[in-house]
Amino acid sequence: MAMSIEELKAAILNKALTAPKPQLYVKDFYKCDPESKPRVIKNAANDLVKEGKLSFWSSGSTTMYAACARVKNEEGEKGVN
Amino acid sequence: MAKHDTPMLDELEKGPWPSFVTDIKRQAETKPECWDILGQLELSFRDKITHWKHGGIVGVFGYGGGIVGRYSDVPKQFPGVEHFHTIRINQPASKYYSTENLRKICALWEKYGSGMTNMHGSTGDMIMLGCRTEALEPFFYELTHDIGQDLGGSGSNLRTPANCLGQSRCEWSCYDTEEACHHLTMHYQDEIHRPAFPYKFKFKFSGCPNDCVAAIARSDFAVIGTWRDDIRMDQAAVKEYIAGNYPSNGGAHADRDWGKFDIKKEVIDLCPTNCMWMEGGELKIDNSECTRCMHCINVMPRALRPGAHQGATICVGAKAPILDGAQFATMIIPFIEVSADNEFENVIEVIENIWDWWMEVGKNRERVGETMQRVGLPTFIKVMGLEPLPQHVREPRSNPYVFWNEEEVPGGFDRNVDEFRARHAA
Repeated sequence: MAMSIEELKAAILNKALTAPKPQLYVKDFYKCDPESKPRVIKNAANDLVKEGKLSFWSSGSTTMYAACARVKNEEGEKGVN
Repeated sequence: MAKHDTPMLDELEKGPWPSFVTDIKRQAETKPECWDILGQLELSFRDKITHWKHGGIVGVFGYGGGIVGRYSDVPKQFPGVEHFHTIRINQPASKYYSTENLRKICALWEKYGSGMTNMHGSTGDMIMLGCRTEALEPFFYELTHDIGQDLGGSGSNLRTPANCLGQSRCEWSCYDTEEACHHLTMHYQDEIHRPAFPYKFKFKFSGCPNDCVAAIARSDFAVIGTWRDDIRMDQAAVKEYIAGNYPSNGGAHADRDWGKFDIKKEVIDLCPTNCMWMEGGELKIDNSECTRCMHCINVMPRALRPGAHQGATICVGAKAPILDGAQFATMIIPFIEVSADNEFENVIEVIENIWDWWMEVGKNRERVGETMQRVGLPTFIKVMGLEPLPQHVREPRSNPYVFWNEEEVPGGFDRNVDEFRARHAA
């Protein structure tokens, strides 16, 4: 049985905070709940962006997701932005 | 007065052609940061490496597309381009602008950005080149609230849909491309503004097989107008062309004398499927062999027109050569009705079938055409729930490789792979 939206969002956020790389493709979140449809997972990840917990990281041709605090630290350390 | 020495770039101003270096120098007179573009580019020419870094978390709130972050990796040397983000603006359908609208957009870009533009990007958007992070939100607010335009797509989003002039100006258009493009742009706002896919996905709408937006070569989902009955013919007008009373190609090649119009040489012999001939002074067409190349219609527009039963062909999977080589789209649905009366629901159904499958099966950074190539066309057709058609095969009359699954053969068949491999090593 698929997770509820709130459970799914918690699993996505946990993945974004603990994955070895800070930037993740939307497909990387599919494993958070194999029972949920890709569109449901995409919508949950985008909700987390609206809530300010995840942010989009775009190369221009590809968009990835990153936990806000984590990506800011990474970019601050590297001086990217 | 130039801020940096740019001897190599200056060479690019010496030919008889227009020079982007001259353009940027002119722009730098009012936007001094543009000197730093030239300085950094000169440095790149010298170092033989780009000094742009692209990507980042830059954007406007709630949107995951439309802004492409760009930074200098030598900001101390070139502070004017420390931030130099690109903004993509969704162009109006068919690129119909008023000069008033263009002036407003240019004034807004002078206010918040470098003033440099690229009209248009290959997907169709208006590209605004170069602004700082803190200018993004105010620019976006005024663009959407005062001018009534929106950002286009970038990243793993649905990219800004594009269409030809369609029925607004073209008598050959087999459906209303502007209505289709506008409707689907509005229907898929979420997919345009927020990433949804393994990689980019592009729609393009062409009204006829002349394909003026190059949908078959440049879009993941090409909707190309076509007809399923016979080419409409006016034999009296054919005679007028033969007599030289009507200019061929609508007079498009009238700048020099090409000699008397020769219907055999210029039309019949150039038909790719040899399906035309003259008989008793009349032009005949075997319409069952016509591949909709449009050549005869283009040459004799007053005599020949697309058929009356009109709709579109759907081709899937074109792409430019970023990863694998460039790829044309594959014809998937030979004919589909395209109508605003049902809000394009049959087209939307095909789109969403493709998306549901691709979102699941597509690898990261894999265009849908590459996924199709990886799994094979038979699998793709099966997943789409389509019946295989002769048109799916490039040469349906000569390709002997037909594969059947057991459940497709009445009575099935027994197959022992081990026994087969004993006779035929893999």
